[in-house]
Amino acid sequence: MEALFSKLVFQVFPYIALTVFVVGHSYRYYTDRYHWNSKSSELIDRDSLKVGITMFHWGIIFTFFGHFFGLLTPQNFLNKLGITAGMHEFVALYTGMLFGTMSFVGLLILLRRRLGKDRVHATSSTNDIALLILLVIVVFLGTYNSYFKRFDVLYTIAPWIRGIVTLNPDQGLMAPVPWSYKIHILLALALLAFSPFTRLVHIWSVPVTYFLRPYISVRRRFVDIP
Amino acid sequence: MKIKAQIAMVMNLDKCLGCHTCSIPCKQVWTNRQGAEYMWFNNVETKPGIGYPRKWENQEIHKGGWQESNSKLRLRAGGRLKKFAGIFHNPDLPRIDDYYEPWTYDYGQLTSCTSGQRQPTARPKSAITGRNMDINWGPNWEDDLAGVNETGVEDTNFSGLEKEIYLKFKDVFMFHIPRICEHCLNPACVASCPSGALYKRDEDGIVLVDQERCRGWRYCVSGCPYKKVYFNWTEGRSEKCLFCYPRIESGLPTLCAHSCVGRIRYIGAILYDADRICSAASVSDDRQVYKSHLNILLNPYDLEIVREAEAQGIPETILQAARRSPVYKLAVEWGLAFPPHPEFRTLPMVWYVPPLSPLIVGMEESEVNLDKSDFMRIPFQYLANLLSAGDETPIRFALKRLMALRKFMRSVRVEHHPDTQVLDEAQMTEEMAQEMYKLLAIAKHDDRFVIPATKRADTENMHDGRGILGFSQGSQPVID
Repeated sequence: MEALFSKLVFQVFPYIALTVFVVGHSYRYYTDRYHWNSKSSELIDRDSLKVGITMFHWGIIFTFFGHFFGLLTPQNFLNKLGITAGMHEFVALYTGMLFGTMSFVGLLILLRRRLGKDRVHATSSTNDIALLILLVIVVFLGTYNSYFKRFDVLYTIAPWIRGIVTLNPDQGLMAPVPWSYKIHILLALALLAFSPFTRLVHIWSVPVTYFLRPYISVRRRFVDIP
Repeated sequence: MKIKAQIAMVMNLDKCLGCHTCSIPCKQVWTNRQGAEYMWFNNVETKPGIGYPRKWENQEIHKGGWQESNSKLRLRAGGRLKKFAGIFHNPDLPRIDDYYEPWTYDYGQLTSCTSGQRQPTARPKSAITGRNMDINWGPNWEDDLAGVNETGVEDTNFSGLEKEIYLKFKDVFMFHIPRICEHCLNPACVASCPSGALYKRDEDGIVLVDQERCRGWRYCVSGCPYKKVYFNWTEGRSEKCLFCYPRIESGLPTLCAHSCVGRIRYIGAILYDADRICSAASVSDDRQVYKSHLNILLNPYDLEIVREAEAQGIPETILQAARRSPVYKLAVEWGLAFPPHPEFRTLPMVWYVPPLSPLIVGMEESEVNLDKSDFMRIPFQYLANLLSAGDETPIRFALKRLMALRKFMRSVRVEHHPDTQVLDEAQMTEEMAQEMYKLLAIAKHDDRFVIPATKRADTENMHDGRGILGFSQGSQPVID
């Protein structure tokens, strides 16, 4: 029973989440490009936004890259570069604590703003609030783990995640992992699945093309007939 | 030389009576929706005043438009890197309270309340929160100088003038200025957009926001020095004046222009040299921008330019319209119209004819030799700060011509003895005066609006274009 549960959660669920993530984004992009944005509330309440949003965004961006490279790069490879597991863990732990705290505090400020400021609250959908609360929980658990539940991630969770990428996740690796890590991971996967249907889609629109185009864009309405 | 065509507008402030009729059809058609109710693609401001949104002209606060340094043009709010790094929070975005918090009234209360001691009232309710609110600012708060003795001191057009004097009742002056998007040649909103959603249309120069590509980064709102791009707080996207392009394409004037009861608006085609935009916008002296802007507007009667335009594929309909363009006459040929705040360096294409004003009582007879126009209630310096970056010379010249025109027409129609001397002083010919009179005073519909309809059936593959670009949620146009 427990094995079945573990299989469902650590072998099947990640793929369901990732499928919804990929298909959901394509679906949203092709059906609802009109609302593909961050739904900014800066106009209606600008001054309460600055601190929270800046802390959260920088915190979460570094957290993302930390997770991305830290978990997806095999330790064996890093060993060859001379980066030992100890060094890796040290960096991961302290940057995690720093940026996790930054994101978490930022999120709390944003949550307080969303619920407490009349205008922002009045223009928030259930989706917006649910998303924010989910983010708060995920970020809280991640940061909590870095402070209070230190655990050897590099040889358990990391290879399991790489297993997902190589289509061969080993649920056994997850057996000794503490619950606070497990919930963090599962909720994060749920967040991935939820994200195509929220304002988070704006992440995909990071305007890198701004650096490539000339300042002034000009368009013709139709293509000329040759 | 890269010749492009622009459908441009001139507004004759001398005739604007501030009735706001232009704003109404615009609002009804384009911004009558939740999230857009605070937007006025067309609004009418009373000058002096700080306008809508509050203090929009003060770029120390709003950081809109371009700046020149070492003959290089930069966005005042910062370039690509700065925008990219600070994209989470735009410190230059106006607050909605700078426009006004949109509201409605609780009309239902008037009919549904129970009978009682007091008159039922319809209280204002915020359109954002739905709660009762006190109205303390609105889109037209300073109408006809209301409260301007307090707000007017912040009007940047008073620079170089003793504003306190002009805000006293005895010496007060006023005029109206209707404002729409300027559809600039060097639009700062377009340059500020990280997503590349804003664009200038190649064929008629109209600046639009691609609604499906806008990701709501909000830099266009703060980047526009005229504050004519608005952020829809419900949809999370930017919207702006479309120059009623579906009407323009059919050869019809914009709603604001068509509805104008004072017949102050003129729409016509102008040819310009797109290769010289950058150099024109980056001249070092603010006061030279107006002249360099004029220099890149091309003469549609010049055969060489016509030939070159034809070779570059400008349709014959546009060239014909450019030759009959009232805008070219008013702005270039006669020098009567001016771009608002050329020092913002966006090269705006909605120009204004400055208003004449009554002479100050007691002054007109005192010193005969002085230029009478010096005693007009509206100080030249104020108009110059608004329309020519502080350079009085061209404004004086334009007002002199308007005065001469009045004197001449009076001599013709009342005295029956044409006085051509006044025309000579203003460097005008009789023919020119008659033409000006026809365009400015009679202002027939077909003279005011010379708009080349786009003959899409001849120039484009209609089969390819079928179904695209409805103006609400249509698919995006093909990118050049």
